[in-house]
Amino acid sequence: MAGQIYNMIQQIISQRAKGNVVIANSVRTKMYLKGIAVDKYTAISPDDAATVQKVREVAKEFGIVL
Amino acid sequence: MAIKTLSIKGTDSRDMAQQAHAALADFQPKLLLFFASSNYERPGAALKEVFPNSKIIGSSSHSEYCNSSFSNGSVSIMAMDAGSVEDVCVRVVENISADPDLRATLNEMHSYYGGEEETLANYERYVGIVLFESSAKVEEVFMDRLGTATDLLFVGGSSSTADSGESLVYADNQSYSGAAVLAILKTVNGYDVLKTQSAHILSERKLLVTKSDVRSRTLYEFDHRPCGEVYAEVLGVPQDKIQDYFVCNPLGVVADGEIFVRTFNEIQDGGITLHCGLPEGTEINVLKIGNIVDDTKKALDEAITYQPAGVINFNCLYRTLEILNENQVEPYCALFGRYPSIGFSTNGEAFFGHINETSTILIIK
Repeated sequence: MAGQIYNMIQQIISQRAKGNVVIANSVRTKMYLKGIAVDKYTAISPDDAATVQKVREVAKEFGIVL
Repeated sequence: MAIKTLSIKGTDSRDMAQQAHAALADFQPKLLLFFASSNYERPGAALKEVFPNSKIIGSSSHSEYCNSSFSNGSVSIMAMDAGSVEDVCVRVVENISADPDLRATLNEMHSYYGGEEETLANYERYVGIVLFESSAKVEEVFMDRLGTATDLLFVGGSSSTADSGESLVYADNQSYSGAAVLAILKTVNGYDVLKTQSAHILSERKLLVTKSDVRSRTLYEFDHRPCGEVYAEVLGVPQDKIQDYFVCNPLGVVADGEIFVRTFNEIQDGGITLHCGLPEGTEINVLKIGNIVDDTKKALDEAITYQPAGVINFNCLYRTLEILNENQVEPYCALFGRYPSIGFSTNGEAFFGHINETSTILIIK
């Protein structure tokens, strides 16, 4: 499997922003500051278990169900 | 006029408040934002006495800015009337080191304006100000929680102190330690937010934080190696000399091209303490410091292409000390003299997160 982290990040951003571009950019910045280097992950990035778990926790903090 | 700015030196808080009252005769402020030298005792209470119908928030300060002036031992005040701010909702979160859940507070603040749907649908009009009392040293955790509790933008800074007096924040007639004052403004003509730092990327090499303690703001490892060793390697200097580079070469989280500066404190307990915690997993760059006046001018000129009603500058104390040291106070203040503006020297700046060596600026249109 690959790309799970990327997909989770995209889901968090789109669900939280609900189409508002300014909020989408804000969510990206907040994720960087939480220690998730958003741009580093692509659709072919390996699914590192620790990072997957961390992104899940961030989703929960944002109130997002993945 | 929708916004008026004042710089006052009073014999005490009551005298300061009376001078403010006289200067603002025939002006009905919705909100008074003030930065008072810590020499003043209970300045918020004194202002509330003469402006009972205004919301009042403020912070103690090391030094104050107002329009084109810089001073110590003064109070800088921005008075905003209904021409610029339609309404203000203020809440105080006490005991911030106990990691309070901010959702209830933010829900309450959104509800004040008719709910989150209303505030987010009119995002361009609602903006938050956050004033931290700095002794708790948990601003990064608080800003993280605030950022998950709301999507509204919050801009602000942490209190500082002059030679005497206490670090405090103020809301209406109360003074607070270990607290954060939150205000959501419903602006009439909107706002802009600007963050500017005179720090640039020195090395494109990304360093991954692999061991750190956010709560104690201690950094231990980059890329699974001692952080001091890696930092010395990036700079190309001996490891036992790295402290000489802490001021000129801070660290930065680069998020979509925006730099969020983290400054060093000292080498301690097998790590290096910072003025802002870095979570594990964060990628950082080593930065170099540039020219504060030039970089601030560029940032202001790019962002403010209109005549703003008012500009609020939360300027890092490090930057104030640097411009004092470089004899650059006059040209720096001249940049802000172009607008009705106030500011103070902060112990940390707030925008998305807690930041160091930066100026966070709220522009009321």
